[in-house]
Amino acid sequence: MFDLIIKNITQRKLRTALTVFGIALGIFAVIVMGGMSEHFNITFERSISLTADKIRVLPEGGFFGSNLNESKAREVKRVPGVSDAYGLLQAPLDPESLGFFGGDVIIGIPPEKQASLIKDTKLTEGRFLVTGDSYKAVLGSSVAREFNLKTGDEIEIKSKTVQRAASITHTRNFTIVGILEYTGSFFDNGVMIPLDRAQKFYDRGDTVSFILAVPEPDTDSDDLAKRIELNVEKVKTFSPSALRKQIEQSLVVFSLITVSAAILAAIIGGLSVMNTMLMSVSERTKEFGLMKALGAETKDILFMTMGEAALMGILGGIFGIIGGGALVYYLNEYLATQGTVLFSITPRLLFIAIAFATLLGMISGTYPAYRAARMSPMEALRYE
Amino acid sequence: MNDEPILQVKNLSKTYIRGKIPVHALSDVSFNVNKGEFLSIIGPSGSGKSTFLSMIGLLDKPTKGSIFIEGAEVTKASESEAPRIRREKIGFVFQHFNLIPTLSALENVDIAMRFARVAKNKRKERAIELLTQMGLSDRMKHKPSELSGGEQQRVAIARSMANYPVIILADEPTGEVDTKTRNMIVDLLKGLSEKGQTILVVTHDMAVAERTSRMITMRDGKIESDRRL
Repeated sequence: MFDLIIKNITQRKLRTALTVFGIALGIFAVIVMGGMSEHFNITFERSISLTADKIRVLPEGGFFGSNLNESKAREVKRVPGVSDAYGLLQAPLDPESLGFFGGDVIIGIPPEKQASLIKDTKLTEGRFLVTGDSYKAVLGSSVAREFNLKTGDEIEIKSKTVQRAASITHTRNFTIVGILEYTGSFFDNGVMIPLDRAQKFYDRGDTVSFILAVPEPDTDSDDLAKRIELNVEKVKTFSPSALRKQIEQSLVVFSLITVSAAILAAIIGGLSVMNTMLMSVSERTKEFGLMKALGAETKDILFMTMGEAALMGILGGIFGIIGGGALVYYLNEYLATQGTVLFSITPRLLFIAIAFATLLGMISGTYPAYRAARMSPMEALRYE
Repeated sequence: MNDEPILQVKNLSKTYIRGKIPVHALSDVSFNVNKGEFLSIIGPSGSGKSTFLSMIGLLDKPTKGSIFIEGAEVTKASESEAPRIRREKIGFVFQHFNLIPTLSALENVDIAMRFARVAKNKRKERAIELLTQMGLSDRMKHKPSELSGGEQQRVAIARSMANYPVIILADEPTGEVDTKTRNMIVDLLKGLSEKGQTILVVTHDMAVAERTSRMITMRDGKIESDRRL
């Protein structure tokens, strides 16, 4: 039967090509949008797993709330079950950008805590920050690539402070002492500098953006997070699981938006298959009636027509994946030079795309196939 | 030796409701056909001959009565059994040839055997054999649009024979061809019947009917005469 299916869809080349193109566009959208969503999922997954053991302590108003004094870190550390606590200062590298997705960030960190923050991450060159370092920096791999920097080079960091109506921009060069290996997490976009220099440079006094509390082994981090909130005034905590939950929630929304846009595009492709199949079935009314008179069973005709629709779906899927894959590849190549990567095409995504294309073709082919199979041989043969 | 008729028609009636008026297309028709008979059914249009053919071919259901092919009552066949009976017992030849325009002559014969789940190499062998028998050995790769009317009808006859049918039903097989081609097609059918193939032709062309071995004349849904020639 496959030879007949192929014969039928190659019979009307332009129509088939247009239909396949419709599906391909839909699957192209699935690959590009899905690739973006997959990339964010992977990045957050890796970032969370790097900091999975630590509790975040934020000022009461949340991340953008009031300032958190570094002295709170000592209070947090005194809570039973906390083995260590330290403050971090976070600021966008480019003060003009907010630095949410893929933006580079400055991380002010007490040098001696650096190993605790990034766990097993190794350096590709140079050294970590050490106590007593002044205007020194350790770069994430993406930042280093973006600005083409090596150990010994200098990186220019800007800060912006608002005084009355005017904003003053300070600039300062930091000497690079080390570059981190690629982690696939947000540390790739981090520039780590000593906390005291960061506070001074950003004019933040003794404040930090948030405090990380490291629980003692065998301590339940959810319980500990609650204990910290009870023992330390005016702070809010996020245990690793609460943080994961929150990030997952925002990722779900992001995935929903991207994926539904892609699905919409693919459904439009599916409608084009349905249209083509309906047209082709009504053109071949007599042919199907004849086949029934020759003894074709309903399932033979269903198989043939659904097969045509599914094949167009598969072809569209393949072209969509090739097209989307090519775009994503070149976009990632380009974006890598800008310090970020936006897309990840995972095997899971490829599987979804091809399965979706086939299913879409088949579902869109169901009604036309049903119409073809229902054809009475009598009616069909009278049809002149 | 099996003396049972190959086709038995018993008290067959068909009533259509056209608008609100019942139309008796067939009323109480009975006859038997033996193996190897070359039978023609003639009659003016509206005499019920085409209705009759559709019912033997399981394309339509009678209001009353039954049809037996090789002793089995086909009028009782369900929707799901009908395709098997059509492809195993019956070969169709139509007035408008009804070949699939996108397929070559060989593929048009081949497709009838596909539905009967015949293996690919056997299908090809049989299709070549039949087309050669029809004198089309040099036209096998041609599409219907590249064949003359007579050639197309010969492909259709080859197709009808593909699954060794018990009976070939031909509905106005010469309706769309010229006199010369008509004679050739009738010769061909006659030749097949002489080899033992049972053939039933519905026609309004006396020249065709007169060359068959038995002629049933129908009028107003009834058999007017049934005579052997």
